[in-house]
Amino acid sequence: MKEHHLQPTTAFQVTAQGHAVRTVDLWKTYPQEPEPVHAVSGVSLEIAPGEFLAMAGPSGSGKTTLLNMLGGLTRPTRGEVWIAGHELSQLSDKALARLRLESIGFVFQAYNLLPVLTALENAEFSLLLRGVPKEERRRRVTDLFRKIGMDGLEDRRPGRLSGGQQQRVAVARAVVGKPALVLADEPTANLDSHASDDLLGVMEDLNRELGTTFVFATHDPRVMDRAHRLIRLVDGAVVSDERR
Amino acid sequence: MSAAGRPPREGLRLGIILRLSLRNVLRYARRSTLTASAMVLGLGLLIFSRTLADGAHESWIDQGVQLGMGHVALQAPDYQQNRSLAYRLTASRLATAMGALDDPQIEPSVAMVAPRIAVSGLASSAGSALPVQILGVDPDLEPAFSLLDDKLVEGRYLQRGDRLSAYVGIGLVERLGIHLGSRFVLTAQDADGEIQGQLVRVAGIFRTGVPDLDEGIIHLTLSTAQRWLNAPGAVTTVAVLLRSSRETPPVIRSLERILPANEVEVLSWREVSPELDAAVKIDDLGDWVFHSITLAIIALAILNAILMAVMNRKREFGVLQALGLTGGETGVVVLLEGVMLSLLSGGLGILLGLGVTWFFWRDGLDMSFLMDEELTFSGTLFDPVMVPEFRLATILVSLALIITIGVLASLYPARQATRIDVAEAMKFDR
Repeated sequence: MKEHHLQPTTAFQVTAQGHAVRTVDLWKTYPQEPEPVHAVSGVSLEIAPGEFLAMAGPSGSGKTTLLNMLGGLTRPTRGEVWIAGHELSQLSDKALARLRLESIGFVFQAYNLLPVLTALENAEFSLLLRGVPKEERRRRVTDLFRKIGMDGLEDRRPGRLSGGQQQRVAVARAVVGKPALVLADEPTANLDSHASDDLLGVMEDLNRELGTTFVFATHDPRVMDRAHRLIRLVDGAVVSDERR
Repeated sequence: MSAAGRPPREGLRLGIILRLSLRNVLRYARRSTLTASAMVLGLGLLIFSRTLADGAHESWIDQGVQLGMGHVALQAPDYQQNRSLAYRLTASRLATAMGALDDPQIEPSVAMVAPRIAVSGLASSAGSALPVQILGVDPDLEPAFSLLDDKLVEGRYLQRGDRLSAYVGIGLVERLGIHLGSRFVLTAQDADGEIQGQLVRVAGIFRTGVPDLDEGIIHLTLSTAQRWLNAPGAVTTVAVLLRSSRETPPVIRSLERILPANEVEVLSWREVSPELDAAVKIDDLGDWVFHSITLAIIALAILNAILMAVMNRKREFGVLQALGLTGGETGVVVLLEGVMLSLLSGGLGILLGLGVTWFFWRDGLDMSFLMDEELTFSGTLFDPVMVPEFRLATILVSLALIITIGVLASLYPARQATRIDVAEAMKFDR
């Protein structure tokens, strides 16, 4: 595969048309008997920088698959995904890994913190991989922890944090490198309503203050209510795209 | 310039990967301990077993060379093949050979030198006759060289001035129907090719426990043998005992450089006693077959432990890749975990192996309870007390083997870690 050498990106680098994310006729098909299954069917989307967008739909509607394709974790069967000026199918695995490191943050339903690292080390991990000096890393994470109400818990391992606290660390890890895009897959699914509201508030603040683009895959009404744009998916296809 | 900092450097990422691997080894303590235990026990066993084998082999070689022709034998060219006095070291060649042993490069390695004349012959009494190996030896030098005088059971060993005395094995005495003080006749071909007889008297009787020696070896004084065999001043072999069998190859190289090949042939104990050489090699081979099976079992145990760990930690590796590590770097995390465990186990395994070896080094491992009677092996008496011998090379080879196995057993799991489907690994288990 031809490798596009990535230029150093800025956090808010966008596609040539001014989009943070753009998909063109995106398909993901899984071969299966008797008929192949289309998890995502011809989705074309344009997401502007700084959007706070939710993709909603019932289980099996293709939300997570679409999110994984936007993050370069799953390669599409057909179509294009443009992020930070790069069409993902043209990137080698190494270039894709670097794009994820520099331009995309992930928040997962199961938090997925590294158990061998402390909360602070988890949050600063992407900065560490990018060669940010220690003092700078610690300053950024400490500021962020203060902002999201995690100060004082820096040295705790994930096993000694509540679900809500773990998810806050996961959000901090996703945004600390100031990526162009944060992809969050059911981030509130394991949290109670209070913790969910807190977390969403944190993400709204970060979206507002840092201009980070947030894309959620969710069926949580609280997330849908607070999203500035709501895309509904059914059977892998976009059935509505509502801006608030 | 990226917004968040400098572009990542390969060295830096390796440092992070190293740190992650180390943390993983420490965090998954139970798994690490189990995996390391297999390697520690394996290496400990390997070191102990190798040092024991080295000690046993050294003991065999020591006994073999002291009952035989030494670590190094200097002979006339072709004597080894023909075993005839026609191929002897004349007085002048003997002087050349003895002079070479005084070389400053060789002399420090030499413990003892014994010139000998050896012929095959026939021992006959009134009732029987048996083929024997007749050795003319210097009675002043031989006791310090050979173990045979220590095996005396009756009478005495040869002394300077003995003219017709013979030192014989108990097997020969019994088969010839003679006893201490009896006379019997030796017959052999002399230096001129003529058959010569010599009447001798039993001065001493020995018992080694090795039938070949007890029935087939006779010692006479060198002067008696030279006179009887018409070979004044000549010998067939200069037997050289070294301070250690490990010094044999360099001493042979030095002697071959000094001595003219057409006058003196230099042979190692391996060439002079091929049956002893074969015994050591066969035993070594058997040991390595056993070690290979043990190491293969250890490798499978390590492979299984690490592979299971990779399968259980798919999500963790998925996170690493989602955060920006490449698949290859994820594999390196797993591989480094294997390397670290191997190095750690290597250190502990050496301590265990040396500890056990040291314990048995003091008094040896007594296997006599397994033996009802004396056991001989390829013309050598098997010492039932096995004393391990420390050799740096043995320890380093064992360490290298176990680390190699640890690393090789980590390769497949590491490869599996590079192939994780990240999206699949990140799925939430409901």
